[in-house]
Amino acid sequence: MNKFKLWLEQTMMISFAILVGIIIEGLCYTVFGGDPLYEFKMDWLQMVSIVLTGAVCSLPTVIWLMDTDMPKNKYIVRIVLHCIGLYAIVSLFGLVFKWYTKIDGFIFMSIIYFAVYIFVWVVSLWFHKRDDNKINKALDDIRDEE
Amino acid sequence: MQVTFEKVDSKDQEQAVIKAVEVTDEISGAIELLEGDAKGFAVSRDGKTYIIKASAVYYIESVDKKTFVYTKQGCYDCKYRLYELEVMLGGYFMRCSKSMIINLKKVRNVKSQISGRIDATLLNDEVVVISRGYVKEVKRRLGIG
Repeated sequence: MNKFKLWLEQTMMISFAILVGIIIEGLCYTVFGGDPLYEFKMDWLQMVSIVLTGAVCSLPTVIWLMDTDMPKNKYIVRIVLHCIGLYAIVSLFGLVFKWYTKIDGFIFMSIIYFAVYIFVWVVSLWFHKRDDNKINKALDDIRDEE
Repeated sequence: MQVTFEKVDSKDQEQAVIKAVEVTDEISGAIELLEGDAKGFAVSRDGKTYIIKASAVYYIESVDKKTFVYTKQGCYDCKYRLYELEVMLGGYFMRCSKSMIINLKKVRNVKSQISGRIDATLLNDEVVVISRGYVKEVKRRLGIG
């Protein structure tokens, strides 16, 4: 049940990230021009494709990254594999659901993907650091003297 | 509730008196927290039985259905199961993984790992792992969650 809840949370987070990516891509094409075959629209199929991709992408996240009992190096290898795996899924679904139609669209989507992936990890590590400081400060108040 | 604090000169003189109409959950929690350190329980080592105070415990670990209590003086066997000790000790004693209870008062500092788990360095320089699933509870116990 806990993993199912995590999967739902991850699905929402990843779907939102994809939605932001697609909106940025659509806005750039609309404002600056580019792929003449590309038409920015946000219909129900687009929404379904985003949620579906989010749901599929969250599976490796729940299976691979939630198991934390392993050495740091092994976990970093998992993160790299996770990043590549998600990139493959997003690229495939993007091709099927026509988030991009030409190579420049693919490159654009790739840049957004890696930017979002790195951003999520940076924010996550920043939250961890902030929590550490809070916990250490609280521990100072209760620690036994030895 | 009105709270009065009176400074005393030594640890022996320390005591808390709670005057209330009934024992609410909050009052039970306060009693549990205040009594936590004074509680003692039976442990054994080399065939001898000892009573140790909760305040002497760094952490308690369960290995192969046996319970081991770690203090500054070393490791002791204990007849109680982890879940029993968790209820018995309460306060700043809490689960940090499926097989371990940690005394938060014996933690020198914590450091998060990239995976989200937390490495807690104890006052005896041992490092124990707080699993990701228990981090929220740690923060709650410390009043920051």
